[in-house]
Amino acid sequence: MSDKLIDSPALLSVKDCSVKLGGSQILAGVTWEVKAGTLHALIGPNGAGKTTMIRCIMGGMPHQGEIRIRFQGDGRIGYVPQLLEFDHTLPITVGDFFSIMLRNKPIFLGKGRKVRKRAVEALKLTESDHLIDRLIGGLSGGELRRVLLSQALIPLPELLVLDEAASNVDEFGARIFEDLLLRLKEEHNLTILMVSHDLSMIRRTADWVTGINRTVTFDGPAQTFCNLKKIDELFIETALVVLNRQEGKTP
Amino acid sequence: MSSLFEFFTDLAKAGYLPAMFEHAFMVRGMMAALIVGPVLGGMGTVVVTRKLAFFTQTVGNASLTGVAIGLLFGEPIEGTYAGLYGFCLIIALLMTYVKNRARVSNDTVIGVVLAQVLGIGILMMVLVTKQFNVHQIEAILFGSLITLNNNDLILLIIISMIAMVVGAIIFNRTMLSSFNPIMAKTRGVRPVLIEYVFIAVLTVVIVASLKLVGALLVLVLMVVPAAGAQNIAKNLVQFFWLTIAFSTVSTVIGLLASGVWPIPTGASIVLVASIVFYSTLTLKPLLGKGEIQQGQS
Repeated sequence: MSDKLIDSPALLSVKDCSVKLGGSQILAGVTWEVKAGTLHALIGPNGAGKTTMIRCIMGGMPHQGEIRIRFQGDGRIGYVPQLLEFDHTLPITVGDFFSIMLRNKPIFLGKGRKVRKRAVEALKLTESDHLIDRLIGGLSGGELRRVLLSQALIPLPELLVLDEAASNVDEFGARIFEDLLLRLKEEHNLTILMVSHDLSMIRRTADWVTGINRTVTFDGPAQTFCNLKKIDELFIETALVVLNRQEGKTP
Repeated sequence: MSSLFEFFTDLAKAGYLPAMFEHAFMVRGMMAALIVGPVLGGMGTVVVTRKLAFFTQTVGNASLTGVAIGLLFGEPIEGTYAGLYGFCLIIALLMTYVKNRARVSNDTVIGVVLAQVLGIGILMMVLVTKQFNVHQIEAILFGSLITLNNNDLILLIIISMIAMVVGAIIFNRTMLSSFNPIMAKTRGVRPVLIEYVFIAVLTVVIVASLKLVGALLVLVLMVVPAAGAQNIAKNLVQFFWLTIAFSTVSTVIGLLASGVWPIPTGASIVLVASIVFYSTLTLKPLLGKGEIQQGQS
């Protein structure tokens, strides 16, 4: 276990969090925490309450229990969504997207050179500044993920939350994305909370893993999680088991 | 206001303007067209982005019930403002509330309400007026330039000014929250509040435009110019201004056409908007805006 995991204070603490929607208990007394400067994976099967948990953290879901974030600085959360809900045929460029996000002045009165400069700087962090004039609807899955990661990095947040941000990306795109995350964590001492289904990615990148399925099913160092013999029993997630078999590891 | 109309009608009588502007209602209509075109166009870009086309239609349909409620409470037929604006606002905000609360899709909520308000509206009109006055219903559904009075025009000007100011303030925020509400929250945007504000402004703009365009056709003017602009615009700024240009061209030429030929204004506006849309389809390959290219990871 690395020193960072032992010594770091908790940046995010979730205590006894419960959510009930339309008579269904989505989360029941979930308690876990994210240590500062770590890459923390939140995993679980479909319908386990991962997205609900993220919504609670982001302040978009009424819940019982306590969620505390102890920021050291000005306290910004960067959020990388799973997808953008928009018509992909709309003529909206990556530059437009940054303009509507970074300025209050309506975009139809001009995009602003300063905003474009900031957008290029942000896109450079994910090596995607060449995409600034491309239509968002025309980006590949990997390119869109990098653009969404870029927007979350200006200004640099203390906590970066990724909601299945590497899903629907091919193997090559996923590797580039992982490298970016690891570099950002090291260079900027970012705390990263990553919701993921991808066991291989968790193995390669995560420091700590919390598994939920309505309640907490696992909470420990990523190394311990990866050495578990029966991950499928914990998460009842066929995809994880299949992935294990593909990698030649008997679950 | 009357002296302004007289000025233009006098110009027409002296031969400086086409003869159709000798009638005050045509002058009023042109003023309304010059306001409705840009305002509906500007809002149309957000309506298309936020997928609110059928919502727009529902508000249009609700106007029929609104007029009937106004009449029921003793408002004059030429100005059922409280019933019209009040009912349409209640329906619009209620639909938004239900959509945000219930586990039902937006389309389903709109579909249910759309049918209800049209049926109830026609039923109430018959009950309140004790007769089935097809001209009254026709005027609401298809617009009626002759019934557009000074009060309607003043109200349209005031509402349009409010819409332009509020629309400009919330434009970026409403676009951003349409992409992803949680991401918008990290930028200090309150997506739910922004949604309610936009819906309220959109509703009053739709209602104020009804006498020119008509309840059944307001949807077309809200969507078709934006769809045309979408065909040839290369970014969001072009999309916005082209939509306004197409919408204004449609309302102005549509109105002029209805002054030359005996056709309803709303219908001719829609026809012009459609011609503009199909023209953009032919321009699309010439401007090099073909299929969206798929990038690489």
